[in-house]
Amino acid sequence: MRALLALIKREFTGYFLSPVGYVTLFFFLLVTGLLFAQAVAGLTRTGSQGVEYPFAVLFGDTAFWFVFAFIPPLLTMRLLAEERGTGTLESLLTTPIRDWQVVAGKYIGAVLFYLVLWLPTLLYLPVLLNMSVSGDWYRPTGITFGIDPAYAWASYLGVILAGMMFLAIGLFVSSLVKNQLVAAMIALAVCLVFVAAGFALPHLDANDVWAKAVRFVSVPDHFRRDFTRGVIDTRHLLLYLSVTAFCLFLTARSLEARRLRA
Amino acid sequence: MIRVESLVKYYGEYPAVRGVSFEVPKGRVVGFLGPNGAGKSTTMRILAGFLTASGGRASIAGKDVFTDPIAARRNIGYMPESCPLYPELRVAEYLKFRAGLKGLGWAARRKRIDYVLERCWLKDVRTQLIGTLSKGYRQRVGLADALLADPPVLILDEPTAGLDPTQIRETRKLIRELGREHTMLLSTHILTEVEMTCDSAVIIYQGEVVEDGTLEAIRHKHQTNNLEEVFIKLTRQEGI
Repeated sequence: MRALLALIKREFTGYFLSPVGYVTLFFFLLVTGLLFAQAVAGLTRTGSQGVEYPFAVLFGDTAFWFVFAFIPPLLTMRLLAEERGTGTLESLLTTPIRDWQVVAGKYIGAVLFYLVLWLPTLLYLPVLLNMSVSGDWYRPTGITFGIDPAYAWASYLGVILAGMMFLAIGLFVSSLVKNQLVAAMIALAVCLVFVAAGFALPHLDANDVWAKAVRFVSVPDHFRRDFTRGVIDTRHLLLYLSVTAFCLFLTARSLEARRLRA
Repeated sequence: MIRVESLVKYYGEYPAVRGVSFEVPKGRVVGFLGPNGAGKSTTMRILAGFLTASGGRASIAGKDVFTDPIAARRNIGYMPESCPLYPELRVAEYLKFRAGLKGLGWAARRKRIDYVLERCWLKDVRTQLIGTLSKGYRQRVGLADALLADPPVLILDEPTAGLDPTQIRETRKLIRELGREHTMLLSTHILTEVEMTCDSAVIIYQGEVVEDGTLEAIRHKHQTNNLEEVFIKLTRQEGI
């Protein structure tokens, strides 16, 4: 347990010791900030041109997911690939720590930093939800939302679980290669499958089994149709959680296989 | 303390280690000798739990390294060849992280870190970034890490490789001192080093043990005072 905690702490603080963490945070906030501004503009527009679901402006756009797909690979590329490349994996794996603890420690460290990425965006919520506080500012008597807050909770739940899936994919890829850049590129390619799958939809018959399969994996569609409208569809959660579990399992196996090979 | 029985390791089709057996009794400092590519590092990596053997058995302090790897690793302080470290951490930070990985409690962590910093002459660089340290200091950080959990067995893979003469001397002195408290297996291909620091030697060539015994016994058996002659004779490199 101590070993696991030590590893989580090292991986989490590691993001603040290299420029990658700050650069990722910068671009992430730039993109979400722009989308926030768009959502606010839509909400305050007079006449019939306003937006119905402000969170769909933020998370429902395929363009957002194309940018977003770069973030998990950037966070996970170094996790195991760097240690394999520099040889520090040898010192790590010869301490009394089990393989699953190495995987869990690195994964949890990455997830914690991912949550830190989202933390500043909570500041947008009072505006997007049209929150008003009654009573004095120092002793509020009640908080009312002009827009149903369920949209926000569902969107955030979705975005955290989808991110966890992408991070698990990135960690697995990172365990296979020695070069960080290669790890990032392959992880990005795999993540983009989940983002770009929806492009096939207009070419498919809506009742086709393929269309169903595409809708099942197309993450932007999950957000456009469900999460940003306050709908939590367990099919999406099942996809995210099962891909996460499967990738983490494969990562542990890949560490084990490395011991056997060379 | 260290027991190796007919260990075999294949890299694909190539047998890097072919049935190595030896034993290191408690308190002994054993030099693990052999030319480059003889299988020294592979054997040590198997003992430290980084590689899994293709066949044979090995145990540390009675714990089998394949069936009970965590318990076996608790008894080992291992320093890999070329001593890989995280350049972005400071020396004390790195040791704190490693102490956590080795399961030391908070109080023990502070005490042991202070002890190993003192022991390996690292006090003046404790807040320095590892990336800015010289090779000699890095090697000492590696040694300090191996000592952290106060393990009964130390396995050091070429602890003096790449050091300058002064650093080699300091490291050997440290190894001699540590040999009084720990059972030690250290690999090298520098023969004077073995003569200065070890009680006995295991010589390995092409993945097989060709000589095993105390330095006295080896010298007596081959009727020479010069370990180098023995080494060259055993590894059949006399023509070179």
